[in-house]
Amino acid sequence: MNIFQRKTMKLALLFTLLSSTVAVYADVAVVVNPSNNSEISDQDIARIFLGKLKKFSNGDKAVALNLKFGSETRNDFEKKVLNKSSRQIKAYWSKLVFSGKGKPPPELVSDKDILALVSADSNVIAYVDAASVDASVKVIKTF
Amino acid sequence: MKNLKKTLLFTSMFVAASAQAEITLNGFASIVAGTTTSSDEALYGFENDFDFSQGSLLALQASSDLGEGFSVTAQILSRGAEDWDTNFEWAYVAYEANDNLRILAGRQRVPFYMFSDFLDVSYAYAWITPPTGVYDLVFDTFDGLGAIYNTSVGEFDTTLHLVYGGNNSELAIGEGSDAEFKNLAGAALTVTRDWLTLRAAYLQTELNVPVDALVPLINGWRSTPFPGVADDLETSKDIGSFIELGFQLDFENIIVVGEFTQLTLDDMPFSDDDSFYVMAGYRFDNMLAHITYGEDENSKDRITDGVPVGVGLDALIDPTNAFTDSQISESNYVTLGLRWDFHDSAALKFEYTSYSDDLNSNNDAGLFRTALVTVF
Repeated sequence: MNIFQRKTMKLALLFTLLSSTVAVYADVAVVVNPSNNSEISDQDIARIFLGKLKKFSNGDKAVALNLKFGSETRNDFEKKVLNKSSRQIKAYWSKLVFSGKGKPPPELVSDKDILALVSADSNVIAYVDAASVDASVKVIKTF
Repeated sequence: MKNLKKTLLFTSMFVAASAQAEITLNGFASIVAGTTTSSDEALYGFENDFDFSQGSLLALQASSDLGEGFSVTAQILSRGAEDWDTNFEWAYVAYEANDNLRILAGRQRVPFYMFSDFLDVSYAYAWITPPTGVYDLVFDTFDGLGAIYNTSVGEFDTTLHLVYGGNNSELAIGEGSDAEFKNLAGAALTVTRDWLTLRAAYLQTELNVPVDALVPLINGWRSTPFPGVADDLETSKDIGSFIELGFQLDFENIIVVGEFTQLTLDDMPFSDDDSFYVMAGYRFDNMLAHITYGEDENSKDRITDGVPVGVGLDALIDPTNAFTDSQISESNYVTLGLRWDFHDSAALKFEYTSYSDDLNSNNDAGLFRTALVTVF
């Protein structure tokens, strides 16, 4: 084993450590408009994002927003909160779309776009990387 | 030609609607290749040469929100097995009365089975197609009214689906002319709690199925002291009923699905059909490996049982018995399959089915199928 190889191995190890560290700290924050004072349980969040619950406890219409398919934050959210892989969720929605029973939440490109909509609309519920959260929204739970 | 006119009509409807509303387009496709494993075998339309058309299909769905709770949806589907002829599988106007109740008017799916709603969307389930032994009724859609009522009782989500309508599609049953299904009515109840789903359905319909080949026999029996046999040979205003019971467990990496169906066709020359399957699957990474076992039994009592033999009616009895006996069958099958989600919107599937005919082992067959399925 020459020096070069050992270096590569150390680098690989370092990267593995780094990426597992990142995975642990990349929390997902579920956010709503600051004016939304509804009680929202973990199960409510899951049911809203699966199209099964359409109103908040205060009686207002609940509109869920997604990040783009394949985004790291979305994968985490679906894994931690919906308990399914992103592809399982896609199969779930294809059942509803092609039987006319429902539409998946609209997709937005970035946390910034999500925060802008959440801060402007009291019906919206969404999730972002916990590090992106600012004062314009209310965090109801961090996963 | 008829279809083309319908297509044009719908296209113009959509063009008109698009002036105000946005149209959402979605689609799905399955490209299936299959072959039986030896030269003298045939199964589910496949023979012993790699066939790419038999199971393949492509569908496009257009839907538009009209506002005030109304929406229009049409789904056109082409099947390789039907020379890629295009059919409207769904074409309906929906009205969202409130958060719980949705009314559909137009062409829609009959809620016979657990997977009826998305029967052709292979991407939505593990197999290439749901088990043929159970999923074998002659029609899947109807024209009429549907009501879907969703409600939550504690942690249970329940869906009650009611339908009323009919189907007079151009089904050729044997040598017969068009079959007609009138006053189709039924209900399906689905209860879901977290990883458990339970389902029950009951449907019935009036059947009018003229079979040209039986006309001489029917006329023959009418002129005997046993006209009741003629009535039983004729399928006119008879009631057929259908029961389905199903369950689904989807827990962590394990999925188990089972369905039992019972078709009853009294006072008709057609057989009753009892079928079930049980499937178990295990997910790992982007793969899902699964195994399915199913049985299918078609039974029919002879309708000539009340007729004495040797009184000069044997020339009618024999062909009548031959017709009903020919529908008796008993079979079972095992399917081993693998689904590989190799892409964000597409999956590759491999399946091997070993089919056994319990009454005639000449019909035993092995079938290998592979499919590329996608949604877009």
